[in-house]
Amino acid sequence: MAPTGDDLQQIAEQVWASYLDTDGAKPLIPLPPDKLSKDVVAGVAVSGAWHGLVLVACSDVASKEAAAALLGMESDDVTEGDVDDALGELANVIGGNVKSLLPEPCTLGLPEVHNNADGDPWLAGDEICRFEATWMGEPMEVSVLEKPQGGGTE
Amino acid sequence: MKILIADDSRVMRQIVTRTLRQAGYDGHDLVEAEDGAELVAKANADSFDLVLSDWNMPNLTGIEALRALRAGGNNTPFGFVTSEGTQEMRDTAAAGGALFLIAKPFTAEMFKEQLDSILG
Repeated sequence: MAPTGDDLQQIAEQVWASYLDTDGAKPLIPLPPDKLSKDVVAGVAVSGAWHGLVLVACSDVASKEAAAALLGMESDDVTEGDVDDALGELANVIGGNVKSLLPEPCTLGLPEVHNNADGDPWLAGDEICRFEATWMGEPMEVSVLEKPQGGGTE
Repeated sequence: MKILIADDSRVMRQIVTRTLRQAGYDGHDLVEAEDGAELVAKANADSFDLVLSDWNMPNLTGIEALRALRAGGNNTPFGFVTSEGTQEMRDTAAAGGALFLIAKPFTAEMFKEQLDSILG
């Protein structure tokens, strides 16, 4: 039992419909973005019968738009703390849904947000699936990484 | 009515507040708690008609907070709003004394379905 890119798409689209695109004006478009950007990476660790991470990565602009949409404010007024909270919660909600597709028993950790993803040891792992999308013209990616058992998810 | 909303994410506390409004529950007195320990402290210091709690929180988790309330004789109606909705968690929640578990992402309709008998 393992999640697929289609599973991630379905989960992400439900999250967007509930929280980020409630009126259908800002849809998550299931097409790879025309630019790659992972300025902000939020993730939750899963540990137990399966070890790994569920990640949401996006550009700086997309992270501020997401925080603004979730908090009901203008993106210019969004603080770094707002971005961390918003992206962390997106990762948490998506992670909770992904966990239901993983072997049991597993537990979900608290969300973490990493701004400098390159070479970050917490983000090391084998990618088992990914969903790339474009949101408000910006890159948005959901992925699942598997880690060797005990590989630093605690 | 007085409702205690416990979630370590300010974003999610705000979304829960907004969803309560969208579900038609306007005019209630809403109080927030940032983790399970604060939930227990506030729920024991005041009288609430309902607690809406996340599961996965620092200090005390939602289920630990619920057990602490019940062990202390506090029987405030309690429901979970959490990112995980497995049958195992629903069973654990029910065994701990929770009335319901709403899984994220949720809609105003899902709130109405669970809350109408309490707030309606």
